[in-house]
Amino acid sequence: MALAAVCGGQSSSEHFGQLFSGKQARLFDRPNHFSFGTKIQEFAVPVGNEPSGFLRSCNREEGVRIDLNHGTTTLAFKFRHGVIVAVDSRASAGNYLASNDVNKVIEINPYLLGTMSGSAADCQYWERLLAKECRLYRLRNNHRISVAAASKLLCNMMLGYRGMGLSVGSMICGWDKEGPGLYYVDDNGTRLSGRMFSTGCGNSYAYGVVDSGYKEDMTVEEAYELGCRGIAHATHRDAYSGGSVNMYHMREDGWIKVCKEDVSELIHRYREGMF
Amino acid sequence: MALQDLCNLQHILLESEAAEQSPGRFGEKAASSYESGLHSSSLLDFYIPVAECLDESPIEFGQIRPDQSSCSISSESSPLPSLPFVSSQPVPLPFPMAHGTTTLAFVFQGGVLAAADTRSSCSGLVACPASQKILPIHSHLVGTTSGTSADCALWKRILSRELRLYQLRNGRRLSTSGAAKLLSHMLHPFKGTELCVAATLCGWDDHSGSRRAAQGQKTDLEAVSSDKVSLSKSSFLTQQPCARKEASLSGPSLFYVCSDGSRLQGTLFSVGSGSPYAYSILDQGVQWGLTVAEATSIAREAVYRATYRDAYSGNCVDIYHVTSQGWTRRTREDLKEEYYREKESRRQTHEAEKKML
Repeated sequence: MALAAVCGGQSSSEHFGQLFSGKQARLFDRPNHFSFGTKIQEFAVPVGNEPSGFLRSCNREEGVRIDLNHGTTTLAFKFRHGVIVAVDSRASAGNYLASNDVNKVIEINPYLLGTMSGSAADCQYWERLLAKECRLYRLRNNHRISVAAASKLLCNMMLGYRGMGLSVGSMICGWDKEGPGLYYVDDNGTRLSGRMFSTGCGNSYAYGVVDSGYKEDMTVEEAYELGCRGIAHATHRDAYSGGSVNMYHMREDGWIKVCKEDVSELIHRYREGMF
Repeated sequence: MALQDLCNLQHILLESEAAEQSPGRFGEKAASSYESGLHSSSLLDFYIPVAECLDESPIEFGQIRPDQSSCSISSESSPLPSLPFVSSQPVPLPFPMAHGTTTLAFVFQGGVLAAADTRSSCSGLVACPASQKILPIHSHLVGTTSGTSADCALWKRILSRELRLYQLRNGRRLSTSGAAKLLSHMLHPFKGTELCVAATLCGWDDHSGSRRAAQGQKTDLEAVSSDKVSLSKSSFLTQQPCARKEASLSGPSLFYVCSDGSRLQGTLFSVGSGSPYAYSILDQGVQWGLTVAEATSIAREAVYRATYRDAYSGNCVDIYHVTSQGWTRRTREDLKEEYYREKESRRQTHEAEKKML
């Protein structure tokens, strides 16, 4: 398998044997716990608790509940001139607003972007890991990694920890040989290619706006406006989204950061003259 | 107070009829545990429901759990198609989205516009693709319905009957605010049960100023503020003296009434599982100064977008327009046409693009 070759790993059958053997303890907790894929391909699992069982017990109706909410709104859509990525900037911890100024887009490299929704910690960690893998790929193979391959790398990382409580809803956007690319990857291992995605609990509000205003042959300004509107209206109705709109435009020669606009000003501008 | 008058008369009337009532009365259709409290059989007699119904947490209200089979109001007849409720979800939403539909209503200079889709679903089966979710209550009042179809249809009919009785007794129509309060009071005894009604009452009141005192606590909130939905709950138990604008006493008015007890006045509401999709479209476009044609097209677009993304909304769209002359209804439009038109235009731009490349 190409991936195994890239990571210098052994054949997959050996690994499965290791993973599913009864004594998983030997895979745990090496001193070099975080050196993924350098020598062997391994999925490190924390010692002691069985994560999926623990999570199940925390998700029952009565008692303590750990609600993994995707409290954000992010959207991305492909159009003729590339990919527009727009995200809000609010981080909430239950009902407490931890920050109104978080960057939810990770700049993997000048031609790849990843958005984050779900658990901030998980997203930041795994997408940085993805950035490392993409860089290694470039160094080993002398050409850039494609968007499809990058999203597949992230997807496989998620699959390794499926059911153990990761919370990641991410969109990988880039421009490669095939043109503009947009993939949605989440903690269940879902990986979808599409023209438009929106994630987070404000996503339904964003879908309404973007579906309605989307045209394949939009100009760049219209696309910027649509992206801003989508996030602004979602933050207007959704309590867990807010702050400002961070917008990026992925073009053939890389991405540019378009703007960072405060949502309340946008809403005032849009709703002038209403009621 | 008019409401009290209504209750007392009712009480007297019904008590005399109680003896020969057929068992088909709605009161007895409710779970058998209600029977003990129902000797007076008065509609508006506020008794405390039997204790076991209160074991259900109000937060779970309207959400059917698979193990519950008791307390089903429609148990004796064949299972009526009901709009699906949301039971436990893998990713919890910020608020429980319980009603499988899309309905919306907003106020503008030309009156009130109400729009809804026409799909009735029953946990994944589309039970009826051509149901009516906007029910006219009287000549100047329509109500959109969301929740259980059976409950909504029944309570709308009860509300029409009560409003007609009020009109006959008092010589004038009850305002939308009064109608909303009446509905809210009628639903109150069932709070905590599985009754699920979320309706928006859209009406045109034409009352002159002299009747202000008689109408009771009409908590008109600032209709001209920039907030679409006035969020402070107009509690029907407290009196709130507030700035009443002359203009909002007569004219278009919109109330949201829910079986968990909420009664809210506002200028824009959307209810149902498709409501987030509709809200963003409406937030973009709804203004006071819209023409009727513009308002209709925004309402249609909002319902269309909701049906595009939401599985439980679909089929056709109904639009009702309430003015001082009464309500009018547009012909029902099948959204399939809209979908194909959009697909066709996308296909054409795609081909035009291919030619260019």
